[in-house]
Amino acid sequence: MSKQRKFLILILILLVGGYLGYNYIYQDHRDIKSETPQLEITAPYLLERFKTNDGAALLNKTITVTGVITSLEEGAVTLDESVYASFIEKKSELKVNEKLQIKGRCIGYDELFEIVKLDQCSLLK
Amino acid sequence: MGCWKIKYMKNAIALSIICLALITTAMGQEKFTTKTGEITFEASVPSFEEVKAVNSNVSAVLDATTGNFAALALMKGFRFKVALMEEHFNENYIESSKYPKATFKGTIQNFKLSEVSGKREYIIKGTFNLHGVDKNYEVPAVISIKEEMLMLTAKFVLKPEEFNIKIPSIVSNKIAEDVNVSVVFSLQKQ
Repeated sequence: MSKQRKFLILILILLVGGYLGYNYIYQDHRDIKSETPQLEITAPYLLERFKTNDGAALLNKTITVTGVITSLEEGAVTLDESVYASFIEKKSELKVNEKLQIKGRCIGYDELFEIVKLDQCSLLK
Repeated sequence: MGCWKIKYMKNAIALSIICLALITTAMGQEKFTTKTGEITFEASVPSFEEVKAVNSNVSAVLDATTGNFAALALMKGFRFKVALMEEHFNENYIESSKYPKATFKGTIQNFKLSEVSGKREYIIKGTFNLHGVDKNYEVPAVISIKEEMLMLTAKFVLKPEEFNIKIPSIVSNKIAEDVNVSVVFSLQKQ
């Protein structure tokens, strides 16, 4: 093998390695909106799971939750007074008492308000 | 007939006393709450990648009659610019599956709602619970009231080692020892 060829191969390895390394370090965030949900559940039942200490397995998981809007805030809704869901984009067309199905990432149980929190939510229907 | 009248009067008096009691307890419980408080922390070291995260889903409750204050942040709710940094924060440092939340419970010293006009500085004495470790702190906070909203802001420094959070030596020069935390809560009157 000529010296020139060896040099070219070395450069190529460095380039590929650098590219892979960069992609690993600066990998994209999870796209919750496009992930397949691992569980479909109603809002009161989701709260019940956390209250009975059966929620740890759901942390950081993408889940689908159905419920009726009991209160509205800018960029977030509360479903059946048991699940607080914040949306990726602000929603303005929603109304209290409307039935919803949302998909989002379960981030845990909030003891202060006795509510389960979801973030990065998107509206399914 | 007169007897009936007295009975009716008695009932009416009893009812009004109950109503009055209900009204006064409702007035006595002046609570301010939020579910969208924001906590930002930064542990950046100059010339290295920014180490900074924001959680904008923090819950907080303030009882204005007693000055008792509580806040709760779910650790998985902290978002970083770099996804891998977020993963390391959750899995290696803060261990958010084992310790999913951080809380603060305390009392605002010498707090009287009627005395808050414009901006006013207070000291909140209380306990942080982070990474399963309890630590007493005195946090300086600024409180202001606008219409039905109570704004509480605070800036303070936490040290990871005090909460038993170990940072491996390979990355220790890229993460500051003092973590600057800034807190903004817009609490709504209930």
